[in-house]
Parts: sequence; C-alpha cells; structure tokens
Amino acid sequence: MATSIEVAPRTSVTPQSRRGLLETLWKNPWVGFLGRRFVGLISVLVALVLLGFFMVRLVPGDPVVAAFGSEIPASEIERIRGELGLDKPVVEQLTSYVGSAIHGDFGRSFTTNEPVGDIIAARIGPSLILAGSALAITLVGGILIGMLAAAWTNNGRHPRSEVAFGGLTSMAGAIPDYVWGTILIFVFAVSLGTLPASGSGGIEYLILPAFALGLPMVANIARIVRVETLNVLAQDYTRTARSERIPGWRLYLRHALPNVLTATLTTGGLIFAGLIGGAVVVETVFARPGLGSALVTAVTSMNYPVVQGIILVLGLSVVLINTFVDVLLGILDPRTLAKRQ
Amino acid sequence: MVRAFLKSPSGLLSLAMVLLLLAAAIFAPIAFGESAQFQDFSRVAEQPSAGSLLGTDGLGRSVLERLLVATRLSLTLAVVAAVVALVLGITMGISTVVMGSRARGILLRVIDTMIAFPSILIVIVITVVLGKGTLSVVIGVGFAFSFGFARLASTLAMSVGGREYINAARVVGVQGPRLLWRYVLPNIAEPLTVAFSLTVTGSILTISALSFLGLGVQAPQYDWGLMLAEGLPTIYSAPVSALAPALMIAFAALGFGLFGEALARAFNPLLWTAGSKRASVKRVARRDVHEAGPSTQIDSASDATGIATKGKPVLEVEDLVVTYPTPAGPVDIVKGVSFTLAEGEVLGIVGESGSGKTMTALAVAQLPQFPAQVSGRVTLRGNELRTMSSKQLDKLLGTDLAFVFQDPSSSLNPAIRIGPQLTEAIRTHKKVGSKKSNEMAVSTLTEMHIPAPSRQLKRFPHELSGGMRQRVMIGKGLIKEPTLLVADEPTTALDVTVQAQIMSVLDEVNESHGTAIILISHNLALVSQSCDRVAVMYAGRIVEELPAGQLGEGPLHPYTRALLAAVPEFGHPRDAKLASIPGEMPDLSATPPGCAYHPRCPLATDRCRTERPELLIRPDDVTRRVACHVANDDVSEGLTYQASSAELV
Repeated sequence: MATSIEVAPRTSVTPQSRRGLLETLWKNPWVGFLGRRFVGLISVLVALVLLGFFMVRLVPGDPVVAAFGSEIPASEIERIRGELGLDKPVVEQLTSYVGSAIHGDFGRSFTTNEPVGDIIAARIGPSLILAGSALAITLVGGILIGMLAAAWTNNGRHPRSEVAFGGLTSMAGAIPDYVWGTILIFVFAVSLGTLPASGSGGIEYLILPAFALGLPMVANIARIVRVETLNVLAQDYTRTARSERIPGWRLYLRHALPNVLTATLTTGGLIFAGLIGGAVVVETVFARPGLGSALVTAVTSMNYPVVQGIILVLGLSVVLINTFVDVLLGILDPRTLAKRQ
Repeated sequence: MVRAFLKSPSGLLSLAMVLLLLAAAIFAPIAFGESAQFQDFSRVAEQPSAGSLLGTDGLGRSVLERLLVATRLSLTLAVVAAVVALVLGITMGISTVVMGSRARGILLRVIDTMIAFPSILIVIVITVVLGKGTLSVVIGVGFAFSFGFARLASTLAMSVGGREYINAARVVGVQGPRLLWRYVLPNIAEPLTVAFSLTVTGSILTISALSFLGLGVQAPQYDWGLMLAEGLPTIYSAPVSALAPALMIAFAALGFGLFGEALARAFNPLLWTAGSKRASVKRVARRDVHEAGPSTQIDSASDATGIATKGKPVLEVEDLVVTYPTPAGPVDIVKGVSFTLAEGEVLGIVGESGSGKTMTALAVAQLPQFPAQVSGRVTLRGNELRTMSSKQLDKLLGTDLAFVFQDPSSSLNPAIRIGPQLTEAIRTHKKVGSKKSNEMAVSTLTEMHIPAPSRQLKRFPHELSGGMRQRVMIGKGLIKEPTLLVADEPTTALDVTVQAQIMSVLDEVNESHGTAIILISHNLALVSQSCDRVAVMYAGRIVEELPAGQLGEGPLHPYTRALLAAVPEFGHPRDAKLASIPGEMPDLSATPPGCAYHPRCPLATDRCRTERPELLIRPDDVTRRVACHVANDDVSEGLTYQASSAELV
C-alpha cells in the first residue's frame, strides 16, 4: 500500500496530459452527440439483425414448406433446412446467423440461388439513384416554393394566394406517391407519349418515378418551409438584417435560409425517411429494378433469405438518414447539440 | 365547436366527401355487389361512355361499380386498422405513465425509433410472418400506426397527470382505472380524435399500397389498391381502370385528411380566431392615412421640425405618422412627430410602453413593414428619404444609420458567426474586401472592449454573453461609421451591472466618433445622464422636449413631472408609497379628444378636454417645447407656471 502511494507522484505527468485531452474531448459537444448517435445506430442494427432472424422463425409451420410448397421431395426440404441451419438448436442458429451476417453473408436466394449480397449489390444502385433524385427534387422544390410563397404572403399580403397555396399543397401532399405515379404515367406516357411508363435505362426512365416519389414530399416540405420562413421573417434578427438594408436575395438566402433549414429539418426530418418506404411502392409502379421491387417479389414468393437481407439494408438506411439529419442539424445550428445533451 | 367546424369551407367540403364515401360503402355492395363481378368479355376495356360512366376493365367488368363496391372493404380495413392502432397505442402510451422511469425511458425510445420507420416497411415485415392477406395487413398497419398514438397518449397523459384536478381526484380517493377513465381520458379525447381521423387517412393509403403490391387484399375480394394493381398493366388500353382507383384513393385520402385538419382547427379555437382575424385585416388606402393623421394641424415646416439646434442638422423629422390597420379600422401609432437632431447630439426619447417611441425610431429607419404605413418627411444628412430611389436609400440608410435593438439575444442571427454579421453592411454597401473588413471588425470589437476580438469573430452569437452581444450589436453599427445611431432600449434586456457598461460604450461612441445618437428608453434617469436633449412621448405624440439638464429643474408638462416623480430614489423610505401615475395610457385606437393626457392630469381644464394642445416652442426659452394648455397659457399670461410634483402625483 505504502509503495503505491510513493509511486503515484512520479507517474502523475502522463495522466494529467491525458486528462487534458480527455477533458477537451469531453467538453466538445460533438463527442457526446456522436457517441450517443453511434450507440443508437448499433442498437438498431442489432435489433434489425435479430428481427431478420426471428422473422423467419416466427412463420407458422415450416418456412421451407411455406416457400416451396409440400410437393417437393422431403430430402430436398431437409437439404434446404440444413442450408438455412433450421435443423440446429435455436441458440446455435442465432450465433451462426449473426456470424455470417457480420461477414455480409445472408445466404442464397431460394429462387435463383444467387448470394443475397450480390442481389442487394446489384439493386442498391438504382434505388439510391431514385431516392437521391427524389430527395433533390424535394429539397430544391420544397424550399424554393415554400420560401417564394412566404415572401409573397408575408405580413398578410395576398391572402388569396395564401389560401390557394394551402389548398394546393395539402391536396398534393395528401395524394400518395403511387397515385402520383399512376397520374404521371397517364399524362406523360399514355397521353403525351414523351416518357416511358416503366422499365429502366437512361434518365428518361428516372424522371417519372423520381417526381412521383418527390411531389407529395415537395408539397409537405413547402408547407413547412413557408410557415418556418414566415416565422423567421418575423424574428428580431431579420429586422436587424433589414435595418442594414442588404439586398432582398441576401436577406432570404444568407439570413433566413439557414434558420429555415434548421427549423424545417427539425419538424420535417422524418419525412425523408419516408423516402425508403415510398421507393418500395414506386419501384413496383414503374416496374423499376431496385431493392423495393426486389423486396416485394421476395415477400410474395416467400424468398426469406432475400427478404432478410433487404429488410436489414432498408432498415439501416432509415436509421442512417435520420442520423444524417441530426448531424446536419448539429452543423447548421450548434445549439441543438447542447439541447440534446 | 361544431359550428366552427361547419363554418370552415374545408370542414364542410371534407364532411361532404366523407359522407359520400360512407354512403358508397354502405349501399354500393347491396346495389352492385353481384353485377360488379360480372365479366362481360364482349365489352373488354371499353372507354367511358354514357352507358357505362367509367368504362370497363380488362375483364369487361364495370369500373364504376367495382370502384364503389370496393369502398366498403377499403374503408372497413382502414377503420379497423386505425382502431387496432388506437387501442394498442393508448395501452402503450398510458402504460408509460404507470411504469418506472427506467422502463419508461426504454419504451419511449423504442416508440420514437418505430415512429421514424416508414410504416410500409413495418407492415411488410408483419406480412412476412403472418403471410399476405387482409388480416396481416390490418394487424400490421394497426401495429405500425400504434406508435404515433402511443407517443401522443403518453405526452397527453403525462401533462394531464400533473394537473390540479387529477391531484384533487386522487386526494378524494379516485384511483386506478376509474381515474383514467373518468378524469384522464376525457381530457385527452380531443387530440386523440383528431389523430384517429388522420390515422384513418394513413391506413387507407398504406393498405391500398399493400394491396397494390399484392400483399394485402387477395382476389376474388378487391379494394382500391388491388384494382389499381389490376388496372395499371392495361393503362394503355384502358387507362380509366388504373386512373379511377388511383383517383379514388386520392379522393378518400383528401376527404379524411381535410376532415382531420378541420377537426383539429375546430377543437383549437386559438388557431381558428387567429386565422379569421388575419383575413379580415384590410388594406388601408393611402388616402385614409392622411385623413387619420393630424397632418393638417401643423403648417409651417421650419417650426414643425422643432427647436433650433446648434450645429448642422443630421436628422430632421417632420410630421411622422405611422398607421396600422386593425379590424376596427386604421390606427395611428405615431401621430405626427417632428424633431431635429444636430451632429453629434444625443437625443433621448422617453415614454411608457405603447407611447409610440419605438415605432418612431423604426419609422425614421424606414423599417415598419406592410401593413403598417409611414408618412411624413424624414431628412437624413440633407437627403429627403421620400424622394430617393430605393437603391440610393439602401446605400444611405445602410451606411449612415445604425440601429441597435432592444434584445441582443434575439437581434443577432443565431446561424451566422459574429464576424460576417459585423461586417455585412460594409461589405455590401462599401464594397470593403474581406481582409480589410476583418481588420475593421477586430479594431471595432477592441473599441467595444471585447476581449480576444479575433477569436470572437468565429463564434456564434449564442456563445457570447448578453452584454457582449449588445456590444457586438453596437459595433455592428459603429463599423459603418454612421452619422446617426438609433438605440432602442439598448439596456432593457440586460443585467443591471451590464447596463452601465453598455451606456458607457455608447457615450464613448458619441464622444470619439461624433456620432449622433437617438436613445429610446422608458428610463428617465438613464436618459437624463447620457443625453443632451430629451423628448417625452405620450400616446403617439411628443408632449415635451427640453435640454436634459433642465429635467431636474422642472419640466413643464404635467406628464413629464409625474414621470420624474415616479423615479424611485436611492434611500427612499421603505414604508413610504412609491409614486405612480394614476390611470393608464389610452388605447391608441381610442385616444380621448383634446389632450390625450387629460383623464390622468390633475390640472386638466375644460379646454384640455376638447382642444388638443400644440407642441409649441416656449417664448421664454427657445430650447424647450411643450404641448400643454396650462403650461403655455401661464406664459402668455405672464405668469410662471408652477406646480409642485407633489401636487401632480
């Protein structure tokens, strides 16, 4: 005991400098924020893997029989059960499932025998492109329309336009993406013949699905943006900016926009995760190859390994989008970091 | 509430839409249940005609009949799913109130995570386990939407749980389920009703989507979603068979969505009146402003601008009127204010809140916005603002006039760093480069006694203290080297200890740069220390103007005297009553005739009650103006106006 006390002063130099580093790290709001986000991400990931595992085990009866029907020979059923590990005890099944999932191995498709990883790799690109373009349409369209509407109706000016804006956006926002898809197909593919109704290929195949997915979100985001812009325009700091007599575009872009974005992300952040769900349906409407349409086909044909893999990827992307929105909020408005502590 | 609902156009419209849908759901299967199934292969994919309103689908069935018949299944599934969501959600939500704090934390986090997931993904997972079909879709949608209810119910129950009447019920001995049923539920019923109708909307959309994907309703049953799935492949040959169910889904979503919104508005009377009131504010015609304004009262221009001041005038304000429309008609908030400010002079404008002092300052800077209207002549450094182009105006006001606002914590943009905010005006109007402007920012902050100025430039306003922020605000004005700085209650939002520092910074600005300052304040003591001259405002007008040094010797207007008497002194006996002015300042829309102060004035005569006193320069002292019959008559009659403060209060 006594020796350890004597030793202490000698080593005190290093811990102190280390403590200094730790302290700066600890004081930085980003560290705690990202740390919590990371823990959240990991727990959702674990939940998703467990969900994929138990989802198949919960299917009443035998999932292999459910998928292939009882006509196929019993030996074949046994072979697939062995391949899926269904013949082993549940705990062992779980460890081996998690083990392979960590290595990105989700087994092979029941129908094509392709590795699930390959199927996902082939489909994720088109889905990302669709979701990305819909997001771009939403952000550009929603913010532009919302801010213009706010500028036009600020201080109770043009009350009729305000009513029209409210009616149009609530209508456009209430119509779901797959209905928009049907309408767009009818107008641009059937009636005008300018764009293809389905399939994949160049940009002409992307336009209609992206707008079908984006339009209701444009309407919803535009509504939020308008309200938030009006709110920002009524703030004291906007009056300060006006007292500087800076040009109008500068007032809106430099002073209002960052605050509008923050507020819009706070209230509308969840809308973006809805992109993932919307893409599943829109891909089917336009017969577009992608994770969504692959998931629907897999669910209908009870192709469980593919279902497990895609659910994991889609679920993870939802969480990633939400995390991204939070990080963006932290960058745009550092005050939110402190608030969330 | 019902009336409020029916009075709104969207409420009435959505009610009609919902009733139409309900009628179709009830009667269509009875009327067309069988004929809608009839496949007439001689009439495949017919276009709409008078005989069959929406034509036929790829199997020769009537699209209209099927559409109407499908309403029942579509709505039933949606409503059942919404009920499942409601029951599950309320159970979950209310149990968060009952359970321990750790379990509640976990459950709330799970609820939040689930809300963030697209409902369609959750339902797809459920259909994987339960197999496709109506049952799993209803359970899945109910499950997916239950988390929204759970969050709502939990928030509501917690806020209701802490209320007095719940505690009172507990004290009386009401417990458990009865407490929930009789006391908690009724108070959270309204928001839950709104949420329920919005959930029905969501259910319609999600269930239709799943049927469309082939995971929901299975043939030979059919709902709108399945009809869409069947119609879409034939959209080229029979477009209506795809369009009709799509539009029907949109119709139902709109109907129930608007219904829910209208319900929410009807439940929330605050939202309701705010909307209708704003709509009724009418534009004020320019003519009305002049009719309402007292501009005819003052004729001679040089007299109107007020007291002759030493030095060149920086600012001349003449007959400034600010009008604001109200539901009762236009109201003048500022009723013809005139004053002059010389180079380097500090003018204090004092008054109670609502006296129009802030609006006067804003109007000088041309800041009031639509629907407020400003009229009158404002001349800054010899430039009459009214005659200038908006470009010239931007340059002049952007560089020569600086405004310091009351609350520095809300007046600086929270999303922009201090540096760019400080230098924005000089970069915009004087085209100063970024390096030079940065140097100027550092030297300005140094002058404002801000430590480590170059480091502050990179910080955000919220990282600074209140006093620092107000110095930044002043620096932001000073960096433009303005001839006039308007400070609107610059210290009101700050700590008393910081107030003195800010005032001394303002004094320094005035002394070292010769900047003229208008200091708006309700604090007479503060103004008398820092100002050369003081103008006292009451009910939208200047009632007295005098050199600050003469405040102590005795102002002439009874209101100024009363204000002065109301300033508590250090060492004021604790048991003695603090002086206050009896009565209240009149509402600006209903200023009494004659002198606006007469109802509170102990010296008021009959003349004060009928004839409004003009703001006249004192013949005995040209540095003072006062608008009071009693005070001015005394002079004309050769008497010295004397009334002790004690008498006035």
